[in-house]
Amino acid sequence: MDRSPLPNPSVPRRKGLFVPTVGLAVALVTGACTAGASVAPSTSTPLTASASVVAATPTPTTSPSPAATQPAFPLTITDDEGTAVTIPHQPNRIVSLTPASTEELFALGDGGLLVGDTDSDDYPAAAKALPHVATYQGVIMEKLVAAQPDLVIAGGDGFTHPADVTHMRSLGIPVVVIYAATVPAVLADLRLVGEAAGQLPAASAMTAAMQSRMDAIAALARAEPTHPSVFYEIGVGPDIYGPAQDSFVADMVVLAGGTPITTGDPNSYTIALEKLVVADPQVIVLGDYDYGTTVADVVKRPGWEHLTAVVDGAIRPVDDTIVTRPGPRLADGLAALALAIDPTLVLPADLMPPPTAVPSPS
Amino acid sequence: MTELRLHDVAVAYGARTALADLELTVASAERVAVLGPNGAGKSSLLRCISGIVPVSRGMVTLDGVPLAELGREAIARRIAVVPQQVDLPFAIRVEEVVALGRIPHERSFRGPTAHDRQIVGEAIQRVGLDGFVGRDARELSLGERQLVLIAMAVAQQARLLLLDEPTVHLDLRHQVQVMDLMADLNDREGLTIVAVLHDLALAAHYFPRAVLLDGGRLVGDGPPAQVLAPDRVRATFGVDAAVWMGGARPGV
Amino acid sequence: MRAGVAPGIPALSERVRATTPRWRRPALVAAAGIAALAAALVTGLAFGSVSIPPSDTLAILAHRLLGWPVAVTWPASSETIVLELRLPRVLMAMLAGGGLAVAGATMQGVLRNPLADPYVLGTASGAALGASLAVLAPLPVGLLGLGFGQLLAFVGAVVAVALVWRLSRASRLGSLTGLLLTGYAVGSLLAAGLSMAMVLSGAQLRQIVFFLLGSLATATWQQVAVAAPLIIVGVLILAWRARSLDALMLGDETAAHLGLAVARERVILLAFAALVTAAAVATCGLIGFVGLVVPHMIRLVVGPAARPLLPLAAVFGAAFLAVADLLARLPGELPVGIVTAVIGAPFFLLILRRVRTGYEL
Repeated sequence: MDRSPLPNPSVPRRKGLFVPTVGLAVALVTGACTAGASVAPSTSTPLTASASVVAATPTPTTSPSPAATQPAFPLTITDDEGTAVTIPHQPNRIVSLTPASTEELFALGDGGLLVGDTDSDDYPAAAKALPHVATYQGVIMEKLVAAQPDLVIAGGDGFTHPADVTHMRSLGIPVVVIYAATVPAVLADLRLVGEAAGQLPAASAMTAAMQSRMDAIAALARAEPTHPSVFYEIGVGPDIYGPAQDSFVADMVVLAGGTPITTGDPNSYTIALEKLVVADPQVIVLGDYDYGTTVADVVKRPGWEHLTAVVDGAIRPVDDTIVTRPGPRLADGLAALALAIDPTLVLPADLMPPPTAVPSPS
Repeated sequence: MTELRLHDVAVAYGARTALADLELTVASAERVAVLGPNGAGKSSLLRCISGIVPVSRGMVTLDGVPLAELGREAIARRIAVVPQQVDLPFAIRVEEVVALGRIPHERSFRGPTAHDRQIVGEAIQRVGLDGFVGRDARELSLGERQLVLIAMAVAQQARLLLLDEPTVHLDLRHQVQVMDLMADLNDREGLTIVAVLHDLALAAHYFPRAVLLDGGRLVGDGPPAQVLAPDRVRATFGVDAAVWMGGARPGV
Repeated sequence: MRAGVAPGIPALSERVRATTPRWRRPALVAAAGIAALAAALVTGLAFGSVSIPPSDTLAILAHRLLGWPVAVTWPASSETIVLELRLPRVLMAMLAGGGLAVAGATMQGVLRNPLADPYVLGTASGAALGASLAVLAPLPVGLLGLGFGQLLAFVGAVVAVALVWRLSRASRLGSLTGLLLTGYAVGSLLAAGLSMAMVLSGAQLRQIVFFLLGSLATATWQQVAVAAPLIIVGVLILAWRARSLDALMLGDETAAHLGLAVARERVILLAFAALVTAAAVATCGLIGFVGLVVPHMIRLVVGPAARPLLPLAAVFGAAFLAVADLLARLPGELPVGIVTAVIGAPFFLLILRRVRTGYEL
């Protein structure tokens, strides 16, 4: 089973709270013995399924053309856990339990059909005003039932508590569990959610547009002469959290023109400092900028001062939500990541990411 | 009534022999002291009489019925054992401790009846603990606690009472109180009493019959004056002592 | 016995009654317990994360449970909330609370230790390890409405106790000391396994922690149907053997002298206490405090005699956990184990300080 694109932290990633609390949780148990983390940068051959998105020269997409017609309701689809979910009619009361699917439903114009989301859904702004039927602790079942949903989109790999998924299904609510570990899988999930909501054509168009944008960005980024070694920092304190081997984030780094430094283990998100020092990243991308980590913090860390990235000043913040959220803004995220890895990269205006609160690397 | 007979009894714990070649008969309403130095097997004797420890040879019979054939509950209705002291992990009232003595007579679900409560009340009165009803047994002195345990045995309504060193740790007043009570129970109710004692003087004063154990064997059985003759005391206990014959009863 | 009661001295039961204030008679305490249980049921159905007007709640219950012809004026979601969410949850809380309290009282009596709780012989560690193994290696296996994790938790609890029992038989220490120490050793070993599982779980750590803190949030009718027979039968059997608990109060030898088949009774009591605990833990996770403190609170009032203690512990334990769960639900799904500790511990300290009943610890 692939790990989720993002480590499922044991506590919510509130600003400043994530890493200390996760660190504490792990510290409470017997000494963390991370699996032997190799930091050999991933091979230069294109990774796995990403090969279909990355091309040696810019070419049109090679992924299969999506079905453009919406099957009729009642509809049975197979979710990412292999469960056959029957949706009796076109949903008009949808609950979204992942931030990505909330974004997607708004993007498809179904924002008015959403009757509930989680309290960590923050984009678009209207999502924050929806009733919060789930928190990090779990689904508040009474609120969910009171919202009378006819479709629930839940997060796999434990993002939504499996017990809650079972509970909702036992109450007769159709629950579609989505979970993507690679970039093509993210696009497939977007189409799956669209199909469940009765919006397959719009969703397909959206993913086709994303696909071509991402192909174009990847082509430009990977055409650069060098692919620097990149450490995408998910969080630090006391352990260092980075992308697992073969994970979604590592995929993104490759597409963005970098050579990802991973933990070496598909099931582990932690990397020891010594290994990181041996790997010596040329670029550090601060995925935890939004949670309070600044460039100055990184420079001050003991043992980090000799990393090439620190010496060269190549520590660049990025808006984590667009880079790692498997939602409609992923193409923007790829662009932002590519620019963070190589600020000299020139992207045409239609491929540039929108301005965000994160200072753009200069 | 109750007649206790031990015939050719041996008790062994693994390789160690605690009792051997034991012949003993205790008639109904007798009052017998069991004496001997440490390790002589006194406690083992009590344990095999109450059936807690099985005999490795021979037989213990109660009114002609072998103990092995009686169930634990049947034994409990006939033999009551007063332990030396007990740990009380929870706060418990005096009358509740005494009420435990009714357990062999109670049905599982029914619980104690009015009759049981009456027996308990009478037992408390019999040992003179009237004023202690309602008090936490853990707050009593050692002597008073011993009386509570005796009351528990009395409430059990057994005809044979076994006591394991009941006067250890007691002050003189309570020693006398306990001994007087035992004599009284024996005289008035005709309860058979077998008591292990370490205090030879008390034994000699209160018990018409003494049984002397040494190294697991019976070396004396009869009136204390005879059993505790100076040469016997020297041989068994290694001490020079004399039985004082002054007064109505002998003392050491 | 021929000694007659001396004239002028009142009978024992009168004297006991005279020294026991009214409010501590077992019958009145039992009535209070049943009232508390009823109140817990009512409030548990009336309140929750979503507010439903009490008239609707009553109407739903009357209509669906009693079959009264009442005009349906409420939304279907309210009915689902009351009948499918709140009612099984309150019942589950009562079952678990009552079961844990009785199991705790039994463990305290068998081990003759006021600090014993239902988890002392490794049940907690075994269940937690089982649940965490299910998180590490989730299989789509279920039985009778219990998920894989719950099944493994149940098995883990039972296996742990059986292991402790077998190992302690070989101990040369006194039987109780051997049992307690073996329970501690096995429990520690299993806890080490649990810690290892937590480290390996990576992103799934949250689910393990969720189990460790205990929760009634996922209680369904199916779970109630599975747990109820186990817990009810177990509690009834323990109440039936309450006499043995009393006999054990003064020690093994004295218990044997009072006619108890000590070895056999100890096995029965421990086995059924473990079974009830395993059923509670498998369905609700590790809920602490109930099994330790509720028996003590009952003892403070009516004394240590097992025959009133076990049924009263069941009733008050049920009410206690149902109320704790309600308080856990209202602010938004706190783990119920936190609530039981936060409301129970100060309450217990208060009782210890203020009450002079003659039953102080």
